[in-house]
Order: sequence, then C-alpha cells, then structure tokens
Amino acid sequence: MSLGFLIPLFLLGMAGVVVPIVVHLTRRQRRNVVHFPSLMFLQKIPYQEQRRRRIQHWFLLSLRALALALVAIAFARPFLDRSGSGGIGSGGPREIVVLVDQSYSMAIADQMEQARDEARRIFDGMGPLDRASLVTFSRGARVVARSSSDRLRLRGAVDTVTVSSEATRYGPALKVAQTILEESTLPTGEVYLVSDFQRNGWSGDEGVRLPAGSSVVTVPLGDGATVDNALVSDVVLPRQIVGGRERITATARVVRRGGTEPRETSVALEIDGQEIQSRAVTLEPDAATAVTFQPFTLSQPHTRGTVRLSPDALSADDSHHFVLSPGSSLGVLAFEGARAAGEVSLYLRGALEITEDGRFDVRARRGAAVRPVDLEGVQAVFLNDAQIDGASAERIRDFVSEGGGVLVAMGQDGTWPASAADMLPGTLGAADDRIEGRGGRLGYLDYDHPVFEIFSGPRSGDFTGARFFRARRFEASDSAAVLARYDDGSPALVERRIGRGRLLVWTSSLDAFWNDLALQPVYLPFVHRLTEYLGGRAEPVPWFVTGQVVDLADPTALETAGLVSSEAAGLAEGLEQVALRPSGETTALPATEGPRYLPLDEHGFYTVRQPGSEPDRPFVIAVNVDLEESNLTRIDAAELALQIEAPTAGPGAGPRLGEPAALGREDQERRQGVWRWLLLLALALFAAETALSNWVSRRTDGAARAAAV
Amino acid sequence: MSTLRTRTAAAGAQFLDPAVLGRIGNLELLARTVVDGFLTGLHRSPYLGFSTDFAEHRPYDPGDDIRRIDWRLYARTDRYYIKLFEADTNANFSVLLDLSASMSYGSHSLTKLDYARYLAACLSYFSSRQRDRVGLVTFDHEIVDYVPPSMKHLDTILHTLDRAQAGRPGRLDEPLLNVTELLGRKGILVVISDFYEDPDAVLGAVGPLRARGHDVIVFHVMDPYELSFPFDEASGFEDLETGEQIPVIPGKLREDYLRMVDAHLAALKKRFTDHRIDYTLLDTSRPLDVALFQYLLARERLSRKR
Repeated sequence: MSLGFLIPLFLLGMAGVVVPIVVHLTRRQRRNVVHFPSLMFLQKIPYQEQRRRRIQHWFLLSLRALALALVAIAFARPFLDRSGSGGIGSGGPREIVVLVDQSYSMAIADQMEQARDEARRIFDGMGPLDRASLVTFSRGARVVARSSSDRLRLRGAVDTVTVSSEATRYGPALKVAQTILEESTLPTGEVYLVSDFQRNGWSGDEGVRLPAGSSVVTVPLGDGATVDNALVSDVVLPRQIVGGRERITATARVVRRGGTEPRETSVALEIDGQEIQSRAVTLEPDAATAVTFQPFTLSQPHTRGTVRLSPDALSADDSHHFVLSPGSSLGVLAFEGARAAGEVSLYLRGALEITEDGRFDVRARRGAAVRPVDLEGVQAVFLNDAQIDGASAERIRDFVSEGGGVLVAMGQDGTWPASAADMLPGTLGAADDRIEGRGGRLGYLDYDHPVFEIFSGPRSGDFTGARFFRARRFEASDSAAVLARYDDGSPALVERRIGRGRLLVWTSSLDAFWNDLALQPVYLPFVHRLTEYLGGRAEPVPWFVTGQVVDLADPTALETAGLVSSEAAGLAEGLEQVALRPSGETTALPATEGPRYLPLDEHGFYTVRQPGSEPDRPFVIAVNVDLEESNLTRIDAAELALQIEAPTAGPGAGPRLGEPAALGREDQERRQGVWRWLLLLALALFAAETALSNWVSRRTDGAARAAAV
Repeated sequence: MSTLRTRTAAAGAQFLDPAVLGRIGNLELLARTVVDGFLTGLHRSPYLGFSTDFAEHRPYDPGDDIRRIDWRLYARTDRYYIKLFEADTNANFSVLLDLSASMSYGSHSLTKLDYARYLAACLSYFSSRQRDRVGLVTFDHEIVDYVPPSMKHLDTILHTLDRAQAGRPGRLDEPLLNVTELLGRKGILVVISDFYEDPDAVLGAVGPLRARGHDVIVFHVMDPYELSFPFDEASGFEDLETGEQIPVIPGKLREDYLRMVDAHLAALKKRFTDHRIDYTLLDTSRPLDVALFQYLLARERLSRKR
C-alpha cells in the first residue's frame, strides 16, 4: 500500500507555497496606497527597513503555506494505492461472482457444506476494493447478494444457501454472472463456479459469453468418484374396475446408476402416508428393473401415493410421488336416426365399451328427434346417420354452448336442418363415391390437435391403412378448423367451436359401410380420443416435476392436476387459497383477477385449501424431482470454463483488458475521495488564517495609533 | 512648520487663490488676470522700462536723470522735458520648469505642476509686458520642450505650458547642464522645481547657470502635505517617480520626516543664498502673489544693479 496521485502534475502547484512567504517578506500595505512625490526622506528612516524584511507572524505564514499545499495536493487527487493487496488478482479491483450450485444432487455427502466453505473462502480473500455477488442456481438462478464489498453480509448470505429440489442448469446462472460483469465498472471480473459439474446441466448452446477481462474459476466439489445411485424413474398406475371398484396396480421402474456389484434394496409403496406394500429387489449395476405391487383399491379422491426406495447417497430421487382420484365415467350418447341401418353404431359402441377402467358410460338411442332427456348426464354425443329436425338442432345448440361436444357423422341418411345450418362448420353436400382404384385415404391429420396428438409419434397409430369409399361432400367455412382431410383434399373431420363446447363433422360413416376405418387397429384409440375430446375430459396428471407451475385460476389446469374434490372447486372461482408446501411453509394465494400461479419448486406434496378450512380430502399436487439430475456424470470443468470465457488474446479482446491498471487507480481514488477532505481542510485553514490575520492587523494598527498619539 | 505660514499675502490679492485659478482654463487669461490685478493692487506703473522706443514726454522733476532731458524739445520750447520710452527688451527671461513625476502630486485641487504652470505663465506674461524676451525650458531627466527666448514666443510658451504633463522620473544635473549650453546669452532664469535631490546635487545642477552669468531665481514648489505630513493611517507609500512602495506607519515617522524636510529646505536655502541665487519656497495652497512679489523684488534688484 502506497500513496499515489492520480494527477501528479498538480503537485507543481505546491510551488505556490512561496507566494505567502514572498508576500510576507515584501509585505506591502495593499489596503491603502498613498502616492507620494518622493520617498527620499521616508526611505532614510531605518525603522522601515527592518520591518519590511522580517517575517513577523510565523504562524500566519505557516497557515497560508499549509492551506496552499493542501489545495495543490487535493487537485493532484491523492489515494492510497492498495492494488498490491487487492487479493488474488493484480489487475485492480475485481468484480467477483460466486455461483453456488444448489441442485438436489448437492445433497450427496457434504457437498453443500463444501460449497459454502468455498464461497466463504472466496469472500475472505477479497481485497478492500473488490466487490462480490452471490448467486445460487439450480434450474434457475437467484441473486442472493449483489456487488457488495461487505464481507459480513456476503458470509451471511452464504449461510442461507440450501439444497433445492431442482436440477442443474448452468446457463441461467452464467447469464446472470455475465450481466453482473457487464454492468460492473471494475476492471477485472472473476466468476467462481462452485458445483458438482453434472453434464446434464450444460448443453453447450446456452449462448453465454462472459465479457472480456473476466475469467472463470471452477471449484469442483466431491471426490470425483462414481456415485452408486438408485432411483425410481417412473410409476405406471393402470386402473381396473373390479367388482365396481377401481383398483390400481402400481408398477415402479427402478434404475441403478453406478455401482459395481448387485445390490439388494427394498421398494415400498405408501398410500396416504402409510406403507402398504414393500418389495425386495436386487439391482444390478447400471441396470433397471420393474417392481409391480399388488393392486390397491382407490376409493378416495386426492389419494397420495409414494414409491420409496431405501435411502442412498442421493435421497431426493429415491421416492416417487403421485396423486390419484377415483375416475368418473364420461357420459356418451350414440344417437341413430330412425332410418339408419341397424348396425350403424355397432363399431362405435364396441369401441367405447372396450376400456379397463370403464371411462365411458355409453347410451345408445334410436329415434326421430333428440329429446332433452337424452342429453342429461351426457358430455359427448354422436349423431350417427341421424335425421335432425329444427327442434333437435336447437337443443343440440344449447347443449354445445354449455360445454358439450357433438360429433355429426352424416352417413347415408343423415340430414341437418337448414334453420341450424350455422351450427355446422361448413356446407354439407351429397355423398361422393370414391370407388376408383382402392378408394380414398386420409392424407392429412392435424397432429397438433388433441384428437390426433397421441398419434404423432412413430408407431403410434396408422391411419393410412384405412380406405374411404364414400363420403359426403363438405365445404368448410372460414371459421372452421379442418382436422383431417382425404388424400384428394376434401375435408374428413371438421370442427367448429360453439360457446364453451365444440361440434365436429365426420363426413364419412362410423361403421364399416363407407370405409374400413372401424376395422383398423387405430379405430379404438381414435374413438376414445375423439370421445374424450368431445366430453372435454383432461387426463389427470398423477405428478408434476419441480419447476413446473400450476395456474390455480385455470379450471383446465386444475383438472389436469387431478382436481376432483368439490370442496376445492373454489380454486377456480376466485376464492382465497393457501398452499402448504412439502417443506411445511405456506404460500398465500390471494383472490385476485387473472392467473394465480403456484410454482412447484419442492418435491413432495403440495396441499391447497382455503385458509382456516380443514377438508378431509384437500386438493393435493404431487411433485417429483427432475430425474435428469440423477445422472451424476460429470462434465470437464475446464472445458466448461473455456466455452464461456471470452478470448483473451488479440486486439478485439475487449476494452477492459487493456486498461485495468488505469481504471484501478481511478477507481481507488474515486472510492477514497481524499481530495474532498483536503479541500475542506484547506478552506478551514484559509478561514482561520483570514480571521487571525484581521485580528493581528487590527491590533497592530491600534498599537501604531497609540504610539503616534 | 513651514516658514510660509508666517507670510501674509498682499491685501486685495485674494483673487489669486490657487483654487480660483484652477477653474480658469486659459493660461493667457489666467496670467493676464493675475498680473494685471496684481499690478493694479500695487499702484505702480508697470511701464518703467529701459527701452529705447519713445513713449511720451513729461516735465522734468528734480532728481530725474538729466541724461533723459530732451534737449531738442528744450530748444523749441525752452522747457525741460523728460523723454519717456516704452519699456524695451533688455533681458532674456526663461522659465525652467521641472516636469518630473513628483510634480504631479497634489493633495488638493491643484497639483504642484499646475501651480508651477500658473506661476510660469504669470511670470512669462509679466516679463513679456516688460518687453523681455521670454523663453521656456521644460525638463524631467532630459529636456522635454525648449522655447527659445523671444518677444513673440509668449503664445508658444503658454501653449507649451498648457500641454505640459509630468510623468517621468526627473533629475536636475543633465537637463540643466544642457540648458546652460542652449542659453548662450545671459538672462534671467527662473527655475521651478520640487528639488527632490540632495541639496549639494541641486546646487551642482543649478550653480552652473549662475556661474554662466544668468540671474537665477529658484522657486521651490511644495505641497502642504509634503510640508506637514498629516497622514494617519498605516499605508503603503508609493514613490511617484520610481513606483517603489514601502509600508509606512505615519504616526511613527512624522517627526523624523518633518525634521528631515526642514533640514533639506534649510540646506537648499543656505546653498542658494551662498551662491547668490534667489530662493523662494512656495506652498501650493498659498496664493501666487508671494511668488510674484519675490520676482518683482528680484527684478528691482536687478534693475538697480544695472
């Protein structure tokens, strides 16, 4: 540490110190100058000679000289050069960003404690001019302390870092570090990446590039040895209706990563917190096995289930949570026209009845008109080759408007009243034969639509095998959505939304008379998906993954989350709610307009209820960890650092590399601001000198007058 | 205090108060006013000259110089008449005026230079009326203007005086030595200065003029503040000629200063008197009549001598 001057040229101003000395020695009375013809006589008086050459007020002279010297020094901008004690780097003060991994893999052994220790060590090594930020990251990044030189505060922030339930993503954290460094005025940037460096957290295309002049210091945690980790990667929960009761047969997939020898472990199934079954399994190294439990009866809504392994090094992925509710069947009406053939709904009914869990409650009716009673308790209606009159059409309009779904399969004799033509998604025409060759085929399917979404993957259903020999001509309107077309471009399946519901038109028939789709394997899932779509049923999700967000004001999202409890229906009706997190903390969900998001950032069960209420079966959401984190394969830390550091050589390396020393001096001077104090002191000295000299002058004049008298 | 304080101005000469004269811009008017008024107060004829130009006759009075009896007129009239003449130019009269910067000092409405200019104008006018040839030399450390003595140069002299300004350092020896060379014919020399030099040096400069046969009249012009040093406040005193400045506490110096001034004046008076040079100390706050009286006395003495 040494004294430096930012603008040493101003020190030449110290020569001004001689000014008061000269003035003092040649002191001329400038207050009152008398022009006199000649000083011939006055100069001959020896008294004046002595007074003029002698310094009479040493103290005043010292004050003036000192004040002038202080002004000169202040303008030279002095500072204490502490660059030599600035810590690790020698290029001036540093902007340090410590990125601490808090993904759940950090819970292995004492890695999190190691991470805290490393962060404290980094902060302890800070120079007096350094600034540091603490950023914790897992799937996202959070700035715990930003650009602070307060070590106590930084150490306190370190103590708050805990393991989260999320997976590692280096991108967001490094982008935060990039932003901090870009906004920093310090010349040197250092990013400390404290992590267990899982490969899955880095894809390489995050687009992170730290600014020039900054470097990355990786701090790998752990001993680098392969961790023997077993996890429950998936749970299959097929339902069966046995004796009118719904039974679930849970099958868990258990994966073991690492290890060298087979390992015995136990797998337990817990329902509502109670272990009901346990299985002992032998896990081979780097292998997987399926564990099937005995069926259990599902009778209560929002039943919490967990498949749990014996704890190992990484415990977060040893358990897999899910929530189940008894399924409710979807009411389906298969309506045939009075003139329709007898077997016109044979395949349709058969397809709807072939379910293990009895999800469809199918009612078939044949008649001339659709009665109101026909639509009671029904969510989906198939109008198969039906002759619809005006009244029936209006009933159907009301039914659809209130959220129901209708599929109109025109067939041979199907008609639609002109008075309700606006309900159809287009204009219906006559039947068109396609008997040339081997008939028409479906040439286009909208795989983004929920009906066809499950068929989008390979080997997920083949519609191309079905042949269509006859279909009704249909000209889709502009507001209609064509979900499927034949290979000649004419519409096969057209949709139109009416109110809260939807109406679809199938231009061919649902039996095997006009086409052989009913004979294809894809027919069954197609009809199931079509029916579920018409009925507006969303498949409940047994569990979520940490990081996902549920909108508690969105009914569809709630249904997807498995909401069936009527007590919890207030979630969608704007009532105030509170969520109890797996850690025991609560999250208030005030009743406000717009979405009410509940971030799911802990693994376990989230319980949502109204404040103060204690429902028997509250709405529960199961959240599991992202299993990508269970893959503990490491990435080369140096390779990662190389990918995000700016090139260090070349003229285009950035402006900050070339001027760290100058900036460092300026920054030190600016932070210390010694010149202000020096100027204040100089002003005080000038004021004191003025007051003192006036007093001395008055006293001298008074004495002189007294002597003259 | 100064010896001037014991003197009294002639009765009826109050209009010669320098403060009044300072308000008259024209030097000729000033000189005529001063001189004519002064002479009127004297009740003496100003025309008693020694010229050869006939003016008039008057009856002979006993005691008149019989050489002035017009014998031709006696032959015609058988009476004795004295032949009177217009005053003739019988001398060169030159004013040697000091224009050194110290002459610009004035504690009241008139500076020493103003006073000296009025004095020079009056004397020149007066001498011109006496049919003298009048000339002027202004000098500081060298000769600034030189108007040779002539009967016709009064206007030039007055003009030169009018524009004379003091501003440069002055000294006596060199310019007065040059004057000695310029003025070959003997005459009356009036030296007007504040004589801020050592008395011996002053005499060394003025003495040669006397030695060349000139009749030298010295007027020492001093401001009343120079003679009394009435300053009170501690001040910086700046020399008008050198610009040098020294701090002075007047109260402590006044006694010493006045003692030294008196010694200086006494030394000058003694030196000039010893060399038969008329020396007159003039206080610029006093009327001009003192100077004019002194001049007339000197002229009278000179005329008697002739």
